[in-house]
Parts: sequence; structure tokens; C-alpha cells
Amino acid sequence: MNVETNNNLKLTIALAALENVIDPEIQLNIVDLGLVYEINFNDKEKLIHCRMTLTTQFCPMGESIQSETEQTLKNTFPGEDVIVELTFDPPWNHERISEEGKKFLC
Amino acid sequence: MIKSSTTTHYSAVVPFYVYAALCFLISSVILFYNHKNFTGPYFQPSILALTHLMALGWGTMIILGASHQLIPVLIERSLFSEKLAYLSFATAATGIPLLVYNFYYFHLGLGAQAGGILINIAVITFLVNFIMSIANDKNDNIHSIFIFTAGLWLLITTLFGLLLLFNFTSNILPSGSLTYLSLHAHFGIAGWFLLLIIGVASRLIPMFLISKYTNKPLLKIIFYLINAGLLFFIFNFNFELNLTFIPIVFISVAVVLFIFYCYKTYSERIRKKVDNPVKLSLSSVVISVIPIIILCTTLGFKQHQNVVAYGFCIFFGWITSIILGMTFKTLPFIIWNKAYKNNRVKGNNLDPKNLFSQLNFNFMFIAYLAAFIIFITGIFLLSNLLLQTGAFFMIIAAIFYNLNVFKMLSHKVK
Repeated sequence: MNVETNNNLKLTIALAALENVIDPEIQLNIVDLGLVYEINFNDKEKLIHCRMTLTTQFCPMGESIQSETEQTLKNTFPGEDVIVELTFDPPWNHERISEEGKKFLC
Repeated sequence: MIKSSTTTHYSAVVPFYVYAALCFLISSVILFYNHKNFTGPYFQPSILALTHLMALGWGTMIILGASHQLIPVLIERSLFSEKLAYLSFATAATGIPLLVYNFYYFHLGLGAQAGGILINIAVITFLVNFIMSIANDKNDNIHSIFIFTAGLWLLITTLFGLLLLFNFTSNILPSGSLTYLSLHAHFGIAGWFLLLIIGVASRLIPMFLISKYTNKPLLKIIFYLINAGLLFFIFNFNFELNLTFIPIVFISVAVVLFIFYCYKTYSERIRKKVDNPVKLSLSSVVISVIPIIILCTTLGFKQHQNVVAYGFCIFFGWITSIILGMTFKTLPFIIWNKAYKNNRVKGNNLDPKNLFSQLNFNFMFIAYLAAFIIFITGIFLLSNLLLQTGAFFMIIAAIFYNLNVFKMLSHKVK
């Protein structure tokens, strides 16, 4: 699990909040699942840009996970706009699951 | 920016599930009241009606409903038309009881023919919707190819079935309709159900298990083997070559390769905890071997029990077990998406798997396994008591299935 950012302090806060966003099928949070690729914070424009993926491009819960991620970031950083961008480049693979995540799935 | 897949509206999918659940219950009741017929020859009005109710009302309806949900998921764009999905449901839902009722009383005239025509309209509507949805899709998606080809075989099955129906009263074909029955049945079993189930399961099972295993070339081989087997089956029938074993070998190898695919997917999974619906779906993969064994035995000994057992294993075994499992991996998500997609963060953490009763599911699972084993034993031992007991357990399984389906449908956001 490796999340790129331009602000490590805010990233820590964001990831802690996003640990509450659970994939309803797998029952694991999106951070340990390795779905979050990048979160950048534009303090001047008060804009958070989150780049994330889904376990599969065919995920029927994708819309829900994406909107919950957006809402969680908005709640964590009040007054900031949030853009959640879905990407499948690179596609998600099991190696992105954290050690805690792997323990949970076993 | 890529958008996540667009889901089909709940109302275009759920009626198919409801209809199918009721058909499964009615089929189990028909099985119970006609259990004695399973010790006789396979061509009887009650068995003809039951087979069509199971194949169309149960198997096909639930697959059509699930496909309307899965097509956007597979091709990553919206379904072409939800109105066509409603039309497909309305025509199939009217045509199936017309056909089945008339088969049951062996009235092969206008009522059955009208039913057959309506079912064909439903299939054509579904295919038009699917073709328009995938138009201009340049992705080499093996799962879409499986579903599209399965849809074509379904159309061939229903058109040929309609022809056979008219042939009963008008002598359109060179021989009687019974001569062509094995062609009609296997277009449906291998062309529609087998291709469709492999196409969808090869996508969903690795997804649910989070498996490291992928093998697209193997899926392509399976695809070619099934289609080659079916085409050779037609060729063999047309030219009376007496080489029926060749298509059986082709399709058997395809099934064995798919079992191997599922085994590798399972053994290389990251998610070690496998839930009950996935377990039941995986057991259907094992059950799919039983009809093949029976078919191979039938080649040597043409006993009518083998033919009846073969049909029972396919419709009440293989197809039913995968539907019983997969319903609880698809319908809860459809209901959950409708209820919580936009208000999940407002403090509601109910998960899709909690929308149905696990206890009911376990009762259904046990009753179904008991029903299948007891009934199939009853067919081979020609025991009315075992047949009746097996059918009774099938009704119990169908009741628990329906209870869970209606529990999910009546779910309200608290």
C-alpha cells in the first residue's frame, strides 16, 4: 500500500478517515484494500483531489464506494471541495492489500 | 475521468427475480404431485411442462434479470433501453404460463403456440437490447462473447422449439417433433445455459474470492470446445453419422477444463473465508459432472431412468444450485444499492449480506441437498417413496428461498 501525496500530515488524517469506508462485499476498508492511489491537497483553491481504483472495473458497488469516499473527505476537511477520480491505470491487484488487510481476509 | 459502472434501474431487474422465485416454488409443487411419472418414460405432459417451467420460468428468467444488471457491469456502459427490459419481462411472463399450462394438459394448439411466440419475442427483445448495448464496444471481452453467443443459442433454441410446436399440428418438418427433441434440448442446455453460466461464473467467482488466478486462453478453449461440440452435434444429426460421442467428448472436456479453472481460482484465492452462497455456487460446478457421467452411461444403456435422471440433474441440480447460490450474491447488492447508495454515510452500516436471513439460507441449503440426493436416488431405484420425499424437501428449499427473496424485497431503510 503506497499512497502518493503532496502533504503527508493531511494524508495521515485523510487515510484515518477513509479507514471507515468499507467495501460492502469484502468487508475490508478501502485503505487496507489498497484502493487509494493518490491524495493531493490544493490549499489555495481549497480542493482535494483523490485518485482511487476499484478491485475490478466491473464492481457493482463502485458508485457507492466512490460517493462515500467523497463524502468522508468532505466531512473530514469541511469547506474544501473534493474530486474523487476513478482510474484503472494501473489496475488494482492483490499485492496492494496491506498486511493487516491480508490478515483480515485469512 | 472514468465513471464507475452505471447500474440498471432496480425496476428493470427485480421482476425477473420475483417471477423466477415463484416459478421455482410452483415447479417443486408440480414435482411433488407428479413424482410417480419419474419412474416412466421422459416424454410425458407433466415432465414436458415441468422442464419448460424450470428452463424458462426459473433458469432463463433469473438469468435475463441478472443479465440486465450485469451487462452494464461487464461492458462498462449503460443498458441500451430499460423499456426493452420491461417488454422482455412482460412478453416472457405472459408466454411462459401459456406454454407450460398447455403442455401440462397436452394442448398443443393455439394457446401453446401463442405462448411460444411471446417467449420468442422476449428473447429477441433481450438480444436487441444486448446488441445495442455492446455496439461499438471495441474491448475484447471474453465474458461478453460468452453471453452474446449464449443469447444467440437461446434464440436458436426458442425458434426451433416454436417450429417443433407447430410441427405437432402442421407437419412442417420431415419427421415428427420427437425426433428433434434432443437437438432442441441441447441447444438450450449447452448453447444457452452452459455458455452463459461459464461466461458469468468465470468473471464472478474470481471476483468474489479475490483470486490471483486468471487464464483467458483457457476460457477461449472452453468457448470453442462447446460451440464446436454443438455444431458437430447438428452435423451428426443431419447426416446420421452415429458419432454422438464426439460432441459429448468436446463438451465434457470443456466442463472438465472449467472445473479446473474454478479449482485454480479457489486454490489461489486471497480471501480464505468463503461465504455460503459462493460455496453453493461452487458445488454446482461439481454437480455439473453428474449429468455428463449419466450421459456417457446412457450411450451404452438407453434406459429411460438415465434420461430422466439426466434432465433432473441439469434443471434441479446444476442450474438450480448455481442460481440458489448466486441469487444471494447479486440480489442483496441490487437492493442495497437502491436503499443505501446515497445515504450510507448518514450512519447506516447495514451490509448487503445482512439483508437476507442466514438461518433461512442454511435451511434452504440443507433441504436442497437432501432433495437432490433423495430424488435422484429415487429415480434410479424406481422408489415412489424416495421420489415423494425428495420432492417434499425441494418444496421446503423453495419456500426458504422465496422467504429470503421476499425478505430482501420488502427491506425498508430505517
